[in-house]
Amino acid sequence: MITNPIGTASLAKREIFRFLSVATQTVFPAILSASLFMFIFGVAIGNRIDFTSAQVSYFSFIVPGLMTMHLISTSYENTSFSLFLGRWHNHIQELLLSPLSYFEMVLGLLAGGVMRGVVVCTGIYLVSLMFGNFPALHPLYLLYFMVMVSVIFSCIGMLAALWAEDFNMLNMWNIYLIIPLVLLGGVFHPVHLLPQIVQDISLFNPMFYLVQGIRYSVTGVSDISIVISALVTLVMAAVFFNVAVFLFKIGYKLRT
Amino acid sequence: MRDSKFAIEIKNLSKYYGNLAALKDVSFQVKRGDFFAFLGPNGAGKTTTINVLTGLSNYQSGDVRIFGYSTTKDYIQARRLVGLCAQEFNFDPFLTIRNLLVFQAGYFGILPPKAKRRADELLERFGLYEKRNAKHRTLSGGMKKRLLLCRALIHEPEIIILDEPTAGCDLELKFQIWNYLKELNQEGKTIFLTTHYMEEAEKLCKTIGIINSGNIVRIGEKSQILQDKSLQDVFIEVTGLE
Ligand SMILES: Nc1ncnc2c1ncn2[C@@H]1O[C@H](COP(=O)(O)OP(=O)(O)OP(=O)(O)O)[C@@H](O)[C@H]1O
Ligand SMILES: [Mg+2]
Repeated sequence: MITNPIGTASLAKREIFRFLSVATQTVFPAILSASLFMFIFGVAIGNRIDFTSAQVSYFSFIVPGLMTMHLISTSYENTSFSLFLGRWHNHIQELLLSPLSYFEMVLGLLAGGVMRGVVVCTGIYLVSLMFGNFPALHPLYLLYFMVMVSVIFSCIGMLAALWAEDFNMLNMWNIYLIIPLVLLGGVFHPVHLLPQIVQDISLFNPMFYLVQGIRYSVTGVSDISIVISALVTLVMAAVFFNVAVFLFKIGYKLRT
Repeated sequence: MRDSKFAIEIKNLSKYYGNLAALKDVSFQVKRGDFFAFLGPNGAGKTTTINVLTGLSNYQSGDVRIFGYSTTKDYIQARRLVGLCAQEFNFDPFLTIRNLLVFQAGYFGILPPKAKRRADELLERFGLYEKRNAKHRTLSGGMKKRLLLCRALIHEPEIIILDEPTAGCDLELKFQIWNYLKELNQEGKTIFLTTHYMEEAEKLCKTIGIINSGNIVRIGEKSQILQDKSLQDVFIEVTGLE
C-alpha cells in the first residue's frame, strides 16, 4: 500500500530522470545493437533461411526475441547500477532516512527500470516496423509482458546491486546466468526445432516463457500456451518483487 | 507528532559490529526542545548511536524512540521528524545541488513548488544559491558541509541531528551555523549535536552527554556537569585521557 504517494513519485521521477538525462548511454545503444542484429540476421541472412515451419519469416521471428533480450538487460542494468551507485557513494542514505516504506522504495526504484525497459523495447519494435515488420497482433498482451518482464528484471537488478561488492560483480549475474538462459529460451531459434531432450529442458528455463509470451504478443506464434507464459511471468514478478522488499526491510547490506 | 515529553528515548541499547561491541547497554533521554551535546573520543560510538536513531543501523537489543515513535516499528512516522546532517558527504552525483534538495523534499511528501521555494530559501541562507545548478563535486569542503545542513533541514524536521557539523568549517561559517542552530532551538526544535570542539558544546548546549567505548559515562544539565570546571577538564576526567 502507498501511504506516501508524493515521496514515491519523487523517487520514481529521480530514477527516470537519471537514465533519460544520459539517454545516449542508457537508451540508444540497445536500440542500435538490436537494429544491427535485425539488419544482419533478419534482413541479410534471414531471407536465405528456410523457415516455413515457424509460420512467420525469420526476421519477424527474431524481432520479439531481440525485444525481450534488451528489455531484460536494460531493466536489470538500470536498477542494479542505480542502487549499487547509491551504496557506493552512500547516497542511498537519502532514501533510507526518508519516510518511504520499504515497499515504496522498491516501487520507486522499479519505476526507472520499467520505464527504461519499456522505452528501449518499444524503440526496437518501432525500428522493426521501419524494416517492414508487421504491427503487433496483440498490443495489450505486449504491454502486459513488457511491464511484467521488466518488473522481474528490475527486481533482480536490485538483488544484484545488494549482493555485489564492486562494479565487476554487478554484471556477473547478467553475463553468466541471465543472457545464456535468455538465448537458450529461444531468442533466435524456435525451440520445437531442437531435439526432444533439449525441448524438455527448455521448459525448466524461466526465460523461455518470457520470450514466448512476447513473441506471441507480436506474431501470434509461440511454442507454448500464452496463458502459461502469462502466469509464469506474473508469479516470477510477484516473487522477485517480494524478495526485494524483504531485503530492504531487513536492511541487507543497506544498514550496518 | 505524539505528545511525548522526550524527543529521544534510548533504553538498554546494544549494538555489535560482528564481535565488536560498539554500544553497551546504553540508555538515555533527550527532552523535547533541548539542545543536547553528545561528546566522546574518536570511535566512542557517537556516529553509531546516531545511525541507530535515524534507522541507518540495525541493533541487537534495546528500544529506541523518536517522540514516542519506535524507530523500527513506526519507522515512517519517526523518520518524518528527523533531519540528519551526517559526518560524511553522501550526495547523489547525478543531481545539481538544487535538484538534490528538491528530490529530498519530495521523499518527505513536499510537492515540487513548495520544495523549490524551500530549497532556494535554504541555499540563499547558506550562501549556495549561486551554485544551485552545480553538481556537488564542484563545491568546496565547507560548501558541502552547508549543503549537508540544507538537506537535513529541507523538510523542517522537529529534531535535527548533527554529526560534527562544524568540522573543517572556517570561523565565519562556524558562527553562521551556531546562530542558525540557536535560532532553530529557540523556535522549539530539538538539537542533537556531536562535536570535538569543547567550546562549541559549552557555548551552545543546555544538556551534555559523554560516551566512551560504547558506555555513557556522564550525562546531565550543563551547569550540573560543569559545576566550576571547564568542559575540557570534565571530558578528560571521565574519558580517562591524559
Ligand atoms: N560499519 C562499521 N563496521 C564495523 N565497525 C564499525 C562500523 N562503524 C563503526 N564501527 C566501529 O564502531 C566503533 C564506534 O564508531 P563510531 O563511528 O560510532 O565512533 P564515533 O564516536 O562517531 O567516532 P568519531 O569521533 O571518530 O566520528 C568504532 O570502534 C568503529 O571502528
Ligand atoms: Mg563519528
